[in-house]
Amino acid sequence: MPDGFEERDLVERAKQDPEAFGALYDRYFPQIYRFAYSRVRDQSLAEDVTSEVFFKALRNIKRYTYSGHPFSSWLYQITLNAVADHYRGLHGEVDLEEGASLPSTAPAVVDEVVRRDRSRRVWAAIDQLPRQQRAAMVLKFSEDRKIEEIAQILGKSSGAVKLLLHRAVERLRRELPPEFEIGVT
Amino acid sequence: MNDPELEELFGDPADRAVVDLLKASRPAAPPLDPHFHNYLRTKLMTEARRTLPARPSRSWLPFRLSPKTMAPAMAAVAAGFLVVLGVEIYLHGQTRAPEIAQANIGAINNKMDVGTGEPIVIPFTGPVDKTAVAESVVIQPATSVTKQWVGQNLVIIPAHPLAPNTTYSVTFKPTATAKPSATPTPAPQQTPATRQTPPVVAAPVVVHFTTVRPPVTPIVPPSFKSTSVAYGYDNRLADAGTILGAAWTPGGQLLVTRPVGQLGPGSPSPSASATPSGPPAPKATTDVWLMSSLGTPVRLLVPGGSLPAASPSGRVVAAWQTAAGNQVNLGVWDLQGGPQANLVTIGGIPDQAPIWIGEDRIAYVDQGRLHIVDLHGTEASPAMRVGGHGHLAASPVAALLAVEAAQGPVVLDLGAGGSTALPAGATGFAWSSKGDLAFVASHSASTDLYVAADGKSYRKVASSPVDQTWSDVNWSPDAASLLLATTATTANGTAPGLVLVNRDGSNPTPFGPASKEFASPQWSPSGDLVLFTRKDEAAGGRAFWTASATPSTTDSAANQALAEVAKFMLARINGDNIAAQAELDDAGVAAYKAGASSLLGPAGGHFSRYYPVTVQPSGSKPNAFLVGVRIFSAKNGVENSFFEEQLTVVLQGQRYLIDAVNASPAMMLGHGPTVVSVEVVQTPPGEQVRVRFDSDLKPETVSRDTIQVKDGDGKVVDAHLSFDPENHLATLAVKLRPGTYKLVITTGVTDINDVALAQEYDAPVVISP
Repeated sequence: MPDGFEERDLVERAKQDPEAFGALYDRYFPQIYRFAYSRVRDQSLAEDVTSEVFFKALRNIKRYTYSGHPFSSWLYQITLNAVADHYRGLHGEVDLEEGASLPSTAPAVVDEVVRRDRSRRVWAAIDQLPRQQRAAMVLKFSEDRKIEEIAQILGKSSGAVKLLLHRAVERLRRELPPEFEIGVT
Repeated sequence: MNDPELEELFGDPADRAVVDLLKASRPAAPPLDPHFHNYLRTKLMTEARRTLPARPSRSWLPFRLSPKTMAPAMAAVAAGFLVVLGVEIYLHGQTRAPEIAQANIGAINNKMDVGTGEPIVIPFTGPVDKTAVAESVVIQPATSVTKQWVGQNLVIIPAHPLAPNTTYSVTFKPTATAKPSATPTPAPQQTPATRQTPPVVAAPVVVHFTTVRPPVTPIVPPSFKSTSVAYGYDNRLADAGTILGAAWTPGGQLLVTRPVGQLGPGSPSPSASATPSGPPAPKATTDVWLMSSLGTPVRLLVPGGSLPAASPSGRVVAAWQTAAGNQVNLGVWDLQGGPQANLVTIGGIPDQAPIWIGEDRIAYVDQGRLHIVDLHGTEASPAMRVGGHGHLAASPVAALLAVEAAQGPVVLDLGAGGSTALPAGATGFAWSSKGDLAFVASHSASTDLYVAADGKSYRKVASSPVDQTWSDVNWSPDAASLLLATTATTANGTAPGLVLVNRDGSNPTPFGPASKEFASPQWSPSGDLVLFTRKDEAAGGRAFWTASATPSTTDSAANQALAEVAKFMLARINGDNIAAQAELDDAGVAAYKAGASSLLGPAGGHFSRYYPVTVQPSGSKPNAFLVGVRIFSAKNGVENSFFEEQLTVVLQGQRYLIDAVNASPAMMLGHGPTVVSVEVVQTPPGEQVRVRFDSDLKPETVSRDTIQVKDGDGKVVDAHLSFDPENHLATLAVKLRPGTYKLVITTGVTDINDVALAQEYDAPVVISP
């Protein structure tokens, strides 16, 4: 994790210094692109979302104030909004609450399940989770975020995030193929 | 699970199994257009320069790097495997104002967890005077490097692993960029006159990165018993088929056999064009490379080579190399790829790597016979017929060689002479770091595992389940357990995988998630990683992977003390006086108030980072530890000095508190070599004091005059000093009675640039009864 002092200093400088903003971009591009892709499962769309996130961040960075959470939390929030905006554009208002359905990527994912290795199969199963569960799982298990931070990103309470994670794991237990042989070791 | 939040949330063992599976997995990296990052950055920076206030002057780099503000930024980012530093070069000598000629964007800059074995890659685009740029590179602390251009990437390859816990700076000196490039690429809109003027940099460019923080050597070493080791995160080194064989070096890097033509620093491989005089050499199909544990090719070692083996010290490598007339040479190379010796030439590549016997002999099998040669190629013993697979393994601590001989498997005593017969069918020999021999003997339906504690007196310790065989025996670093590959002998047998078994045969435990893919495990010398192969279902081949192997520690008291020190230091770095004082007892509070050290940093500055250097039992108090911490201070965001504190941490009730402090004087950074760590290791009947520096040193300046241990009266203690320049490691072998001593390192120690230690370095050495 970035050192808090240094990150805050860099963010403060980025409000006036293009080079500092470039440094922030370099630091957070990989995780924001990865997170965007995990949400939209389309390379071109992930590029669009990532681009929008950083341009929004640039436009609004002077209004950003440190709230005790990493700067990346803010970027994750913008990402989620950008993804939501995209789907609103495509389909009108989309309910982003748990269980909302979006254009399915299931066929491609099923192909992946067949072809790819165990790790990819697990993550393919995560792709099939409801959106909020999926976001919580990706932030926890791929991005190693703390529950409190995930709560801030998703705009939920820590308890709600715990519930999302719990439901997601329960669902994975039920839905992973039998050859995973998940059991008590 | 190693995540308190998840542990709290998932109490059900079945849930935990899913969580462990998730923690052991990572989503595949998303597809990414390699140009997208730069494309977006260029657009963003254009917008940023338009909308954000302009700075009075611009540096080369996409962040503030004037000498006053070259902060070794504390950004800890996710582990990557290359240090990629974004550099902007300004062209001068043009009719208009300087402009950005190249803007290559580094994904990672100011990293805080750079691996010590990683090359430094600096990408450039557009015209640069490659020779001048490469020549202008200066690295601090002083480090021997080679520099190569791979396309537009400048690859800086340290001659030896970098020092841990060290902030490095890479400087491009502008004065050295005056040479015109041999084939400069003119930039658009350049006139013929300006085209003759090479790119010249405007000001020095300095970039910083900090190497990883290794764990503090525990007082009680961790146990690698079978039930104590957890399979952690795994990492595929390369695509299936691009690594054909791999083995650890004692330094924790990998020696890999790769098909000719693989990319890396210095590629394309010279083996493709190497043609010695005489009969034409057969076309080489493989090369031997040095690779980091993360899978980054470091350098080509043996063109046309295969089946490498590092010597026990790790200083040289033996390998087979294709030669003229369908023959192969057994040669020795250093870790820079320099040929050291050509020992013998034989008619075809054997099917196993040469085996080092100590540092001065090598065993190999050719045409069914065992040969042992010295480093002049002289046959050191009569050739012996071998049987079976002709498998060989040599003890690292004695002149013992296990051999599948034609008359049956034996252990040859190459020192005292004679041999010890092993059970029929014994093979898969593996020696532990302590000189234990393990091997397997397979029967029709199962495999027996044997261990010989002295290398000779063997006993069967375990047998595999029926319908399963064991192979690929591998010792844990502390010889507490063995890692084995399991294979089903029938369609109904257990799926192939890895299993850990204690040295006494107890507690066989699967290692890694249940899978049909794992084989050929090799534990890294330090035990933190396991190398193995795994079937790639997508590509259809087998790929080499590593997985972290985390042993549990029994050193809970020391860990508790270190945890309190960590809280204390975090509070100080955050400027939280109340939280810092909560970690002190009354005596500790009094010590800081009396000025023994500064609690929250120097006037006008602050503490920026720290790391623990040592932890040792306090010689005088029970339930107390002496924890040495190195603390870095910064002013205006610039890290400019460090000092050390020796904290006495004492158990009071249920909790450790800091009871006393001794602080060293502050030392300026960037002024000559510094000591990175001091470690006291029990090596009965004496001790070793191991001192690691951050710089490449002049060996002649590392002597008993410059590195000393003094007793309580200030008298120099007798010691034998050895120096390992590759690891910047000075080792004093001493025999000390219980008590407190002082390690002294004088300013007579200098780096390869003749810069001396800025100040004398002292550290306490405590020997407990």
